[in-house]
Amino acid sequence: MKIFNSIKWRLQIWYGLILVIVLTGFGFTAYQLERGRLFGRIDNELHRRVGILANALRRPPPPRGLDENGQPFDRPPPGQFSDGNPPEQNPRPPLKFHLPPEAAGLFDANDLNNFYFIIRSRDKKEIDSSTNQPPGKFFAIENTLLNLVNRVSKSQDFSSKPLPVAYSFGNYRNAVEVLPSGEEVWVGCSIAPELKELQLTALKLTGIGGIILFFGLAGGWWFVSRALRPIENISAAAVKISAGDLSQRINVAEAESELGKLAAVLNSTFARLESAFAQQKQFASDAAHELRTPVSVMLTQAQTALNRERTAPEYRETVETCQRAAQRMRRLIESLLALARLDAGQEVLKRLRFDFSKTVSDCVDMVKPMAGERGAKIFTELSPVEITGDSERLAQVVTNLLTNAIQYNLPDGEVRVKLESQNGLAVLTVSDTGAGISAEDLPRVFERFYRADKSRSTGGNGLGLAISKAIVEAHGGTIDVASEENVGTTFTVRLPIDA
Amino acid sequence: MRILIVEDEPDLLRSIAQALREEGYAVDTAPDGEDGFYKAENYDYDAIVLDVMLPKMDGWEILKRLRKIKKTPVLMLTARDQTRDRVKGLDGGADDYLVKPFDLDELFARLRAIIRRSANKTTNVIEIGEIKIDTALRNVLLKEKPVELTAREYALVEFLALHRGEVVTRTQLYEHLFDENESSLSNLLDVHVSNVRKKLGAEFIVTRRGHGYCIE
Repeated sequence: MKIFNSIKWRLQIWYGLILVIVLTGFGFTAYQLERGRLFGRIDNELHRRVGILANALRRPPPPRGLDENGQPFDRPPPGQFSDGNPPEQNPRPPLKFHLPPEAAGLFDANDLNNFYFIIRSRDKKEIDSSTNQPPGKFFAIENTLLNLVNRVSKSQDFSSKPLPVAYSFGNYRNAVEVLPSGEEVWVGCSIAPELKELQLTALKLTGIGGIILFFGLAGGWWFVSRALRPIENISAAAVKISAGDLSQRINVAEAESELGKLAAVLNSTFARLESAFAQQKQFASDAAHELRTPVSVMLTQAQTALNRERTAPEYRETVETCQRAAQRMRRLIESLLALARLDAGQEVLKRLRFDFSKTVSDCVDMVKPMAGERGAKIFTELSPVEITGDSERLAQVVTNLLTNAIQYNLPDGEVRVKLESQNGLAVLTVSDTGAGISAEDLPRVFERFYRADKSRSTGGNGLGLAISKAIVEAHGGTIDVASEENVGTTFTVRLPIDA
Repeated sequence: MRILIVEDEPDLLRSIAQALREEGYAVDTAPDGEDGFYKAENYDYDAIVLDVMLPKMDGWEILKRLRKIKKTPVLMLTARDQTRDRVKGLDGGADDYLVKPFDLDELFARLRAIIRRSANKTTNVIEIGEIKIDTALRNVLLKEKPVELTAREYALVEFLALHRGEVVTRTQLYEHLFDENESSLSNLLDVHVSNVRKKLGAEFIVTRRGHGYCIE
């Protein structure tokens, strides 16, 4: 069953079948040609002899060929009767036949060809025969032969004389001609050498065919294996991948062939799968990591507090610490949920027309107390721009950018917020005068849980920019960052006005 | 026993420190990697609790640098629980590894274990004549009867017992029994020693003049 499921085997079986048919056809034809050639030669000989004997029967005997009664034994030429009367059909004196001397040599018992003959009258009586008759039933095929002769005579044109018909019987081949007057001339010979030769030919043909078949199948196997090797590579790689090793790739040797292209497509799919899996894994591990610290705080706090009796202020402090940890977890969970919803496209964004500058100035007002605490000054330059979208979500983006700008600023730093309309886009820039982001961190700031400073001192969870990016992109916009170390960082949000 | 905790999450640092102090340890704290390494380098702690993710210098780096100069037992605390990280920590010279979030009891037990191992002891019970010290239960038995000791007195007995046969200097005792925030009045140690002698017998702690104290 397995063999028939394999393309390789199926191809090989079909290929073998076709090869066998072609070889058989070829061998059979070659055999027939050879047989025709050999038998044609024999038949020619037989026909020649039949002709000679038939002529001898028709022709008057030579002078010394008169029989005892001084009558010629030959019958009169067709259409002519010796006595001028219509020939009486019966009884007719049995004909006497003498082998013409020129034909005697053709039926020598010692001759290599070993021809023999029998001449029978119309009532199947033997008139004459050679001495070297084959053993066995010579006339066993008589009826078959005669039928054949009749059929041939019927199918023949009347104008031409009936041909002698040749037929094989065992190791012998015989030809017979029935004269119009009813006499039968049988000539035969042994064809044992020819049959032997034919057998040899058949053997040779079979041998050659077998060799060709063997090399054909071997070559076919090689070709099929070669042609299917890329598929095997693909399937081997796919098996490893399905077993969990996503780093596997198909080795693409011939990029231009059909399979090469398939392999390239599969490789790029595998690469995407791998990076998606890696991202997912990283995300889950980061999320778990972010949750571990607040859980540790709560656990240690609670266990320490429970170790012995505490005063009311001590309990209060413990509860406050636990609350801080719990709130941190809540923020993280909310962020994770928001990201998950944005990822899945489940977050339903409102599509309302609103003035984005109003949203931005509200956000600026909201973060002003925080800026005041850190001694940062906020400068705004807002032109009214109407856009379509979810003002609440976009406010989240603006607030996030503003708090980042304040948090990562130097003491007494500046935050510049600018909103303008450019080529059908609402362009918002938020710049700070902070320490900037190093070139190596810059491309990764929008990654989830990525933080340029490895400490958790700023209190964020590393998801703010990732969420902002997701929200902006859900609005069909873009968010970019440019930064120069010790000069400052600028975030640019571009949103389509007619979304 | 004096322990250093290096942890950047302030609430966690505070609560671990409090819990360990209540267990009778002298505790120093460091909120970032640089401070942590500075302290680990300059004091002989009995153990260090080291977080992996730290600002300024991460836990791996501190461990790497510390191992070049000291054998102080280190317990790594981390939020990552992948085998790869654990192997990295242990191969890097950490003596044990604890994944956040953890139970305080487990932290205590692991700390006791690494301190015990560094003193080449295999069990929690140290027997000296008729005195039995159980470092897990933190109690002392004299002729199978429990003896009431203050936390400081117990710490003194435990430290000397773990270094049995060695002469422990007064400076060493100060370093291991008092943390960085305590004013170490020199006669405070004498008070503790005399209290222990009253409770466990005068010969239990031998004074080597000019050198320090010893349990023989």
